[in-house]
Amino acid sequence: MKDDKTTQNGTNRRKFLKMGLLSGATTVAGASLLANLTSEEELKASGEKIRVLTPDGKMVEVDAESINNYPEAHITPEESRKGIPGRKFVMVIDLSKCKNARTCVESCQKAHHLDYNEEYMKILLLQDHEEADPYWFPKPCYHCDEPPCVTVCPTGATFKRDDGIVLIDNERCIGCKFCVTSCPYSVRQFHWSHKPKFDNTDLPYSPETSVPGEVGTVMKCDFCPDMIRQGKLPHCVSSCPMGVIYFGDKNEDMVTNGEETVRFSELINDRGGYRYLEHLGTKPNVYYLPPVDRQFPLERGFDVDEEIIERYKDVPYVQDMKEKGKI
Amino acid sequence: MKFNLSTYIISFLLFGLFVAPNVMAQEINLRDYRIRFRFKTIKQPDQSRMLEASFIAANKKDRKDRLPVYGAEISFFNVSEEEKVALGTAKTSKEGIAHIILPKDQSYLTDKEGKFTLRAVFAGTDEMKRQEREISTKDVQLSVELAEKDSVQTVQVNAHILDSLGVAIPLEEADVIVSVQGMLSRMVMDEGTIEDGTYEFKMPADLPGDVDGNMTVFAIIEDHDDYGDVVQKKTVEWKVPNSSNQEDENSLWSEVAPIWMYVVLTILLVGIWGNFAYTITNLFKIKKEGQKLKTEPMK
Amino acid sequence: MDVTIRKKELVKEFSPMLLKPSKWSKIWMAILVAFILYGLVALVVQLTKGQVVTGMRDNVVWGIYTINFIFFLCLSYSGAFASGVLHFFNTPWKNAVSRIVEIITVVSLIVGPIFIILCMARLDRLHYLFIYPRIQSPITWDVIAITTDLIGCLLYLYLTFIPDFAILRDNSEGLPKWRKKLYTSLAIGYQDTPTQRRRLHKITKIMSAMVIALAIVTYSVLAWIFSLTLQPGWNSTIFAPYFIVAGLYSGIGVVIIAMYLIRKYFKLDHYIRKAHFLSAGVILLITALLYGYFTFSEYFARWFSHKTHDANLLETLFNDYFWMFILANYIGILVPIAIVFFKKLRTIKTITFAAVIAVVGLWFNRYLIVVPTQETPYLPIQDTRPEFVHYSATWVEWALSFAGVAAFVLFFMLLMRLVPIIPMSGIIDYEKKGKVRRDGLTQQQQP
Ligand code: SF4
Ligand code: SF4
Repeated sequence: MKDDKTTQNGTNRRKFLKMGLLSGATTVAGASLLANLTSEEELKASGEKIRVLTPDGKMVEVDAESINNYPEAHITPEESRKGIPGRKFVMVIDLSKCKNARTCVESCQKAHHLDYNEEYMKILLLQDHEEADPYWFPKPCYHCDEPPCVTVCPTGATFKRDDGIVLIDNERCIGCKFCVTSCPYSVRQFHWSHKPKFDNTDLPYSPETSVPGEVGTVMKCDFCPDMIRQGKLPHCVSSCPMGVIYFGDKNEDMVTNGEETVRFSELINDRGGYRYLEHLGTKPNVYYLPPVDRQFPLERGFDVDEEIIERYKDVPYVQDMKEKGKI
Repeated sequence: MKFNLSTYIISFLLFGLFVAPNVMAQEINLRDYRIRFRFKTIKQPDQSRMLEASFIAANKKDRKDRLPVYGAEISFFNVSEEEKVALGTAKTSKEGIAHIILPKDQSYLTDKEGKFTLRAVFAGTDEMKRQEREISTKDVQLSVELAEKDSVQTVQVNAHILDSLGVAIPLEEADVIVSVQGMLSRMVMDEGTIEDGTYEFKMPADLPGDVDGNMTVFAIIEDHDDYGDVVQKKTVEWKVPNSSNQEDENSLWSEVAPIWMYVVLTILLVGIWGNFAYTITNLFKIKKEGQKLKTEPMK
Repeated sequence: MDVTIRKKELVKEFSPMLLKPSKWSKIWMAILVAFILYGLVALVVQLTKGQVVTGMRDNVVWGIYTINFIFFLCLSYSGAFASGVLHFFNTPWKNAVSRIVEIITVVSLIVGPIFIILCMARLDRLHYLFIYPRIQSPITWDVIAITTDLIGCLLYLYLTFIPDFAILRDNSEGLPKWRKKLYTSLAIGYQDTPTQRRRLHKITKIMSAMVIALAIVTYSVLAWIFSLTLQPGWNSTIFAPYFIVAGLYSGIGVVIIAMYLIRKYFKLDHYIRKAHFLSAGVILLITALLYGYFTFSEYFARWFSHKTHDANLLETLFNDYFWMFILANYIGILVPIAIVFFKKLRTIKTITFAAVIAVVGLWFNRYLIVVPTQETPYLPIQDTRPEFVHYSATWVEWALSFAGVAAFVLFFMLLMRLVPIIPMSGIIDYEKKGKVRRDGLTQQQQP
């Protein structure tokens, strides 16, 4: 009995650490000094960089406080199956505000060490019917409540946790790709070959970070549970300059885009929120607010790489624009 | 690849430009930036007071280009006309923020009205100018209570200041924000004005509490000319349950399958493999008979 | 006494087939082995470099490996079905084809699963299927069903071999020693005594029924892998029976082809007669009609109701896959029907030709089920990399596919070297029965 208690305390403490990292970390950070800036920071090639100014007027790059700097926070594949107790995460994407700025895609790629074409968050250009104007459609994994991908996995490599998040344990995945064919939203992608970045073992693998990847296994958007544990928002949410993406705990009935926090139920009911392909019965946890009263003209979204514009060539609207020479 | 490559090249160039001892580049660089040195004080729920200075260089032309000043030493003082008391120093973080926390029983040099003045100083270096900011504030006693009034949960905010004799004087007018704490952020419920030291707000009845069934309510006076920032919070047991307790059931996607699947599978397998076993035993019987036949003629 | 003599005669007749490989068969084997080796090279490439060497990408994650898997399993299934029916109902002409059918069953059941294994990217983790099983997954059902089916079929095949092993053992003068030993141990002391005979007959009969059931279950499970997903072209309630009918169709086709080759090659004209081809042809006709009916209902319903996503799929089929669609679903069905329907056209050669068309058509039909669906998902594929938009198999996949076919033929030939392709015990039974029946007839006529 005693032993039980102590171990429980131990895990509780650890949980506390995992949850409370944000508050703890920022206050300490003020004390971390310039001394360790030049030597250590420059050596580390990995991780996200930010530029700062030193008091003697030099601009330098330092590692941003990034997700994986906390060894205590490493969540093993076994632990990651449980989920954050009492939570149920939802995302709301406001299509009326999206202008294909792609910062969500890029920040996600950076955080998950993805290549140019590997996108957990994809931005599609959809046109519902001939009369409708097309609109930008950010598409993460929907973390369905009845996830067909989880149902069909023969090994339990992909699983749904109590907090609603669907994750992949790439140490258990056998690469049968059944989950890829059974996801109706084409969310899942595959590591077709080995890449040098997989060999980076600085950070121990965790399904919560999806890093490092592993050849012959699947990958997809993971809702950044590592960030959530620190009380931070997923990368796509915090990086969007338009505040398009709201994220939060449905049990609390609160979602935030980093700037404003609103009641989930009100947002959905006032703005006609819906889930994509509702009739499939997958019960997604990602909701969309319809693209009405747009804040930006659609063309603003074409201010991107040539290659990315090419992706939308089959959309009738884009063909029109091309004919007119507008793109 | 393109994206990675270009950021890589840019960061590489920046690195080369600014880390290498390139004096020219620095000076041009600094002239393009406007230094923003800000100072504020926040009275925290535990009655301690945080002094926070933020030190950022913002590009005059490119609004997105903001450089936090990292590692600058900021000294904090409490000043009056005659005296100057050092409160402590801190270095700025990578976000350009330095702060110190003063305990709740910290005494300040106050004037007759109970006003006291705080100052944050960056001493300056050869390249960067000295920076100094000052704020005057009064020590507000803010309290939040959640009480049931006419069967509606009501937030009651009270605020007063103590004069030099220790007499409570209600705040005349101050804007207040009432918000509740969520897991990832605080949600603003109401914005109003404290008049005569009080403000009331009716909480929506259907708002769920947190995981433990509690609710933490914040009352915040923000950036007030006389009082600076004042934060107060209160956690109470909240009646509306958090609907988090889903029952574990055997489903198609859970780890354990619905019972009937096990039943059917077992029946099928037992049936089929039983039959295999039966066949094999019969084969052995055939074999036995064959052996008998072989040995009999020998006898 | 005359039975023993007859046995000797039969062994003598068949032993050249078992013992002396002709020059041609050696050459054939060499070619087959070469194909297999080439496949192995491809395998090594795939294992070292990963599945990038295949044409599979994020949208089309199942390619011709999966198609081959379905294809071979469908041969196996239809083989099991046919042989079960032949034995269970003790069909008069079972002798000529039953062994061919049984061997097809087992061999394709061995070759088929290899393809699905090739489709899995982490072969080193295959055992996870058993360590962390999840019985909700159709793949788990498939693993269970295929292993069970394989064991059942092997067992069943063995049962049908026993009497012949016994005959070979008893008449093994001039056979090399290892063969004698092999036959002796494999015959497990079967002496054809009435009790042994009754016993063997009983379990064979039960197993033949079991094998039919197993085959239906296994093949339904396979169909469910597709139809239990939500994808527009797959989520269909008739997929399981559709697959089963399609399986029968192609299975009969392969049996006819095998009959033709064996007859021609081993000069077994008096055992495999035109009558057998005609009966097989009639079955081919029936299954072709059924299969055509299912295919039509499947696509007709989609076309008529034209839900957006179904319509997209049909558009892809009729544009990008036009010729394949014509080949698979028109030529592959109508031509065999036409050939077998008209009495005048029914010759051994034309029936075989019809069978070839049926088999090829069916392979393409599977292709049309597997690939285009993945190319038209619910959400449009917006990608600039052509290989991510359209699937086309690479040399690695083709090499391994042909290696699979080669392995199939090679196994078949090897098994034919072990036991006569026409069951000798069956011939004797048949002749005995013929006499009995004749006696019976005369007895009936006498009074
Ligand atoms: S969106 Fe796709 S991958 Fe994500 S949970 Fe749903 S079915 Fe699975
Ligand atoms: S590819 Fe991996 S995660 Fe997906 S179903 Fe197969 S084993 Fe499960």
